[in-house]
Amino acid sequence: MGATHIQARIENFEFTGKLKMSLAIMMGIGILSLGWTWFVDDASHTRFWTNLLHNATFVTGIAFTALFFLCVCITAWAGWVTLFKRLWEAMSMFLLPALVLMTGFALCIYFNVGHNTLYHWADAGSVETDTILNGKSSFLNKNWYLFGTIIIVGVWMLFAKKIRSLSLDEDANGDSDFEHHHSLRRWAPAFLPFAGFSSAAIIWQWIMSLDAHWYSTMFAWYSGASWFVSMIATTILILMYLKSKGYYQQVSSEHIHDLGKFLFAFSIFWTYLWFSQFMLIWYANIGEETGYFKLRMDEYPILFWGNLLINFILPFFVLMRNDTKRKAGSLIFVAIMIIFGHWLDFFLMIKPGALHTFHELGAGHGDHGAVAHAHEALTGFHLPGFLEIGTFIGFIGLFLFVFFSALSRAPLTPKNDPYLQESLHHHV
Amino acid sequence: MAVKTVDYIYGLYNDEEILLDAVRTANAEHLEIGEVYSPFPVHGLDPLLGLEESRLHIAGFVYGGLGTLTAFLGMTWIFTKDWPIIFGGKPYWSVPAFIPITFELTVLFAAIGMVVSFYIVCGLGPGVKEKTLDDRITDDKFCIAFNKSEVNIDAVNAFFKNTGAEEVNSKSL
Repeated sequence: MGATHIQARIENFEFTGKLKMSLAIMMGIGILSLGWTWFVDDASHTRFWTNLLHNATFVTGIAFTALFFLCVCITAWAGWVTLFKRLWEAMSMFLLPALVLMTGFALCIYFNVGHNTLYHWADAGSVETDTILNGKSSFLNKNWYLFGTIIIVGVWMLFAKKIRSLSLDEDANGDSDFEHHHSLRRWAPAFLPFAGFSSAAIIWQWIMSLDAHWYSTMFAWYSGASWFVSMIATTILILMYLKSKGYYQQVSSEHIHDLGKFLFAFSIFWTYLWFSQFMLIWYANIGEETGYFKLRMDEYPILFWGNLLINFILPFFVLMRNDTKRKAGSLIFVAIMIIFGHWLDFFLMIKPGALHTFHELGAGHGDHGAVAHAHEALTGFHLPGFLEIGTFIGFIGLFLFVFFSALSRAPLTPKNDPYLQESLHHHV
Repeated sequence: MAVKTVDYIYGLYNDEEILLDAVRTANAEHLEIGEVYSPFPVHGLDPLLGLEESRLHIAGFVYGGLGTLTAFLGMTWIFTKDWPIIFGGKPYWSVPAFIPITFELTVLFAAIGMVVSFYIVCGLGPGVKEKTLDDRITDDKFCIAFNKSEVNIDAVNAFFKNTGAEEVNSKSL
């Protein structure tokens, strides 16, 4: 082949004080919002717990899917990502704080901190009398919730550490035997089946079990696709930011184009899963299954239909053309909308079930005089309020802070990766 | 159809990278290339030849849209006006049930429409015999052809020699 050797620019990201400051301010906004939420909340602090769960699972999922996609690329011999694969390695480093966050959250469920009524199955009285909850109690119980969270996110984190350390060691000690690469080619495929099954289980217990009487076999895929699309959108935004700061000048519109294709394709994949879940339940019309959608269509219509508008119609028509996947303006616009859209998607998965459980348990205990009636629109439940947005900003700050500090600790480009030249020559 | 024949002089190359270099050289020497043939799409060739972006995908979008409308309006008419039947207690106009068929017809119209358009534009079709300059360009050879009336034959011969053409031939098509 006549292809020429391209010299890779090896540079380090500098995590400037200014950026640290901005992210710290964002985290401050998040802490303030969470604290404020606690005090304006109902007796069970449902808004506080759901906001925490909503944002923690959302950013955990982005870190997880970054690791997942990195492993997919390694397994599939996909070389084009090599130039910027450090971004995903750094994103996956968020799994350590995620483990702390989610374990902390699971402990709060375990010890019923603040007498929360988040999960119906966590209420011992209900499980005794309720046949459905009783039947699910071997999976939906406090012990497994805590244990499963620690084990699953813990294993994710260990894989993230292993894969990153192999990649970093390759920078220092890699040679033409490509031992590190061969090792990565064993670790990455080992992660994939575990990731596939465990992510489904963790989505069931964290999110789907908020509607404890309901279940859907499509749910894990559907919310997993949400995570994945958000991760691709995050990657695009971070790449654009770093390019504007003078890093990653060798990442060309060809790489961006392919990321844009993933954004486009997986938005459609998400829609496909969303619709498959919806249509089967609509068609079968079994009461215990339709409850999930009836609640959302009747009481959350703006979010329910807006979800499809932002996450399907918009990326479908904007990203359909070739040039909109290559131009920074259109791609950044869609990426921001998609992250926000899937954040709303998670909002819609989490809030209605939790509010419903609160009404059921609260009504039973009779000590929640200030509870609003079910059909009254509540800020923070039927639509996100400032406190939700503030919490989201805080979590973005936390995620980016962990991400940028991990990114700054290693060169931005793996110089001894055997696929580096392929990535430098990438041409769509 | 009586098409006027054109006298071509053409060179065959072994590799797409050599072909690309040759096309670059031809551009630099202002030799007007008549046609380039390759057994598979060569990356980066279109911009070098100054070819315009194909409009086939725009046609594909239009065909797809026609498929969407055909399926959706067709089912709407059939199930609400022409022959209303109640399925499983659902309303006559059951949009979610229409979506899979609408999707399928969109894809079908787009695919068949684009294939037919492509065939018509290229003058291809079942039973149409296409003459080639050399049969090997459908296998493993890359070809640059010049229209003899448009170029200086000596310059072209020198060009083929310099750019590493394996073989130089002439043919009328």
